[in-house]
Amino acid sequence: MKKFSRVLSALLVSTMVLSIAACGSSDKTSDSTTSAQTSVTSTTSATAEKDAETGLPMMADRNDPITFKVFLRDPGQAPSKDNPVLKKMTELTGVTMDFEFLVGDLAQKVGVMIAGGDYPDAIFGEAPKFVDAGAAIPIEDKIVNYPNLKRHYAKFMDKMKAGFGDGHAYTIENYNAYEFDPPVFQNGGAGFFIQKAVLEDAGYKIPKTVDEYFKMIEDYKAKNPTIDGVKTIGFEVLSDGWRDFCLRNPAMHLLGSGNEGDVIVDQNTFTASLYQTTDTAKNYYKKLGEEYRKGIIEAETFTENYDQYIARLSSGAVLGTFDQFWNFQKADDALKAAKKFNRSYIAVPIANPGVKDNFIDPPAAITGTGGLIITKSCKNPDRLLAYYDYLLNRDVQDYLAWGVEGKDWEKAGTTGRKLTNERREIMRDTAKKRDLTGDTLWQYTPKMQGLYEDGTPCDPLCSKEDYMAALSEYDQNFLKALKVEFPAGVLSAPVKRADYYPVWSFPIPDGSPAKTANTRFVDICRKYDPQLILAKPDQYDALWDKFVKEVEAGNPQPYLDEVNSQIKTKMDAAKK
Amino acid sequence: MEQKNLALQNQAVRLNQRKSRLKEYRAQISLFVMVIPCMIITFIFAYYPLSGWIMAFQNFRPAKGYLHSKFVGFDQFTFLFKDHVFWNDFRNTLGMSVLNLIFGFVFAIGFALLLNEIRKLGFKRLVQTASYLPHFLSWVIVCALISNILSTYDGTLNNLLMSLGLIDKPILWLGEQKYFWWIVSFSHVWKEVGWNSIIYIAAMSAIDTELYEACEIDGGNRYRKMWHVTLPGIRPTIIVLLIMNLGWLLNAGFEVQYLFGRGLVMDVSETIDIFVLKYGITNGNYSLATAAGIFKSVISIALVSITNYISGKVSEESVF
Repeated sequence: MKKFSRVLSALLVSTMVLSIAACGSSDKTSDSTTSAQTSVTSTTSATAEKDAETGLPMMADRNDPITFKVFLRDPGQAPSKDNPVLKKMTELTGVTMDFEFLVGDLAQKVGVMIAGGDYPDAIFGEAPKFVDAGAAIPIEDKIVNYPNLKRHYAKFMDKMKAGFGDGHAYTIENYNAYEFDPPVFQNGGAGFFIQKAVLEDAGYKIPKTVDEYFKMIEDYKAKNPTIDGVKTIGFEVLSDGWRDFCLRNPAMHLLGSGNEGDVIVDQNTFTASLYQTTDTAKNYYKKLGEEYRKGIIEAETFTENYDQYIARLSSGAVLGTFDQFWNFQKADDALKAAKKFNRSYIAVPIANPGVKDNFIDPPAAITGTGGLIITKSCKNPDRLLAYYDYLLNRDVQDYLAWGVEGKDWEKAGTTGRKLTNERREIMRDTAKKRDLTGDTLWQYTPKMQGLYEDGTPCDPLCSKEDYMAALSEYDQNFLKALKVEFPAGVLSAPVKRADYYPVWSFPIPDGSPAKTANTRFVDICRKYDPQLILAKPDQYDALWDKFVKEVEAGNPQPYLDEVNSQIKTKMDAAKK
Repeated sequence: MEQKNLALQNQAVRLNQRKSRLKEYRAQISLFVMVIPCMIITFIFAYYPLSGWIMAFQNFRPAKGYLHSKFVGFDQFTFLFKDHVFWNDFRNTLGMSVLNLIFGFVFAIGFALLLNEIRKLGFKRLVQTASYLPHFLSWVIVCALISNILSTYDGTLNNLLMSLGLIDKPILWLGEQKYFWWIVSFSHVWKEVGWNSIIYIAAMSAIDTELYEACEIDGGNRYRKMWHVTLPGIRPTIIVLLIMNLGWLLNAGFEVQYLFGRGLVMDVSETIDIFVLKYGITNGNYSLATAAGIFKSVISIALVSITNYISGKVSEESVF
């Protein structure tokens, strides 16, 4: 027995020694790899050589393979290893992009990453948090070394430098850095959405106020108590977690503001104020209360989660919702895929009487704080930037966004383009789009959007010809009856935003009194807004006063002060 | 003289003891070596992370690290204790936890007692397996199930109550504050009753059958046997589990409250864990979150010590 225990202890000790040694050696290898990588510092972009198959330029160091890990804020699936487009890009550049999609809750994932100081090479999403944590490297001095990046971001550079208040630009904006503005086809952001069938039934009249909007829904619901066997729901108010902007934001838009977030900003004095406690908000929730008692709104809407909400919208039985289009696009796509075109949605210009609606942002609208950041742990920032620079070659952009001429797209008119039917089918199928096209890479890298100088659309989403070709017959007739060219035509044309816009993109320092005040304020609204809607009419005013008092007790002032000071900084920076 | 002798004797005894203790150590050296890895693991996972508590006394910024963040003393605690939201969350945690504890114990013990009385072995096994399977379901699935059952939109419970004529209008179960704690504790009961009863069933099977026979001879029927033999037989198990569970009193669970926590019920649904998550991880105020975490740990340790002491006094059953 004694002998056995001695053997056992010897065994244990030796495994421990071994494991310690193993730890040590793995440290050493990672050291040596980083030193090897840092030795490769200067890289040239594209060479004169061209790929025989695609005619695309190639990078000089394509034979020195490197993999960049990029964390993405979106849930999703990485493209297949056999994706022909991505394989081609790796062949031409030597760079493999390893995209890590979000699993679980974003805020937690980001918090854990920051707390552990463990970063991938680049990150898309929540840039303010990473910059605040010192995880991002400034890029304004680096970008100018790369001709395509320099040209692409030249007109946005001031805003990018003003984004974080320290004079540095950290984010490479991979969305909305448009070349030339494309036409706006539809409202992709916040709005009061209504089923096309409801407008059709109302004789293609466009509602302009909350009262008109709900009147139309009431009338339609009275005529159609069920839709395809499902009980008709008049209006949905999603209240699940951070997506409860559907509950909290409408008053902002009724006041004629763009989508700022938790405040509205006076466009003459540039001071921020809370819209949640205005009379507009008071009347809006009162109106929703009336609709609740009429059965247009179901109380269930305040307890359901996002998936249940999407399921309900996808059934086609929901007549209206206030939401941001991207938030329920899944449902709209599902309805179109099921050929229920009259059940899909269109945004209508709802605002206070006499106020001009202001839902649509002008296309070229970067925030200065969104986009990709390169982290301080990045193996080789120069090579990554050189790769981004390479991708911004027009030929490469064409290859990623459009594919091959003849096979994937064809010319329409002098400068127009549209996808072939086969390619359009592929783009409508999430799995095929992911595994057969360069879409994932195109989405999560710097890209050309909008129109080129000669009017050629940079990508299918900006192509008028492609938009028209993709419209169903129902939609074509629907737009004709509404006498507009595109769905966005029923809304007011976008107006240029002030230089600070939008407030929601402001980096509020983590752990600051402003952040705490903001969280507290949002929580109070989150708690009271549904109660206000469900309140008995004779108790409404008392509850409203209680709500306003609690907002005051929660002291939102530190948040407003922070917002006002950042607006000032940004406006001053733009004046220079 | 005699006293001196006694003292000398005592000294000799002590020396002898020390010698024999050393001998004992030497004889067990291999055992000590074997304990070392466990101690290292305990240190790494249980003690080393405590160094992070320093954050609670700082205004911690990840960019600056422990060394360069500003020390603020007890400011974070002051903020916490003055914050009515925190105390509200504290009340919710305690409330739901006590309900969970009471119902968890009553149902698990009751279920184990009933199961123990079943004579058909096959049926007993079937029931046992079926009842502990929900334990392996994720809370996300359980909550989706419950929200479908409680829905006002064709939900099973509302349909049932309506057809029985008990209510004339569907009740928004998940939107009313007064129901929330009960929904949480009954979902815990449903999910965990089978799993929690396993340990009692095991304890019951260890009870000497002669005791049952003795009870029978004394004229005890089955209820008497349950009351006088089975329950006293599992009393040590119950007490040990109670003590250990009291340490978890400030962990009222997290998932259910998180998944069901909408604005309407926020006042009764938010627990300390959600507070920590919201202000710490989501808002990046790690210092405040750590302070709340420390507060929770201190209370938990105090609770365990107190129950352990009391139960040691009262029934001589204690964990340490």
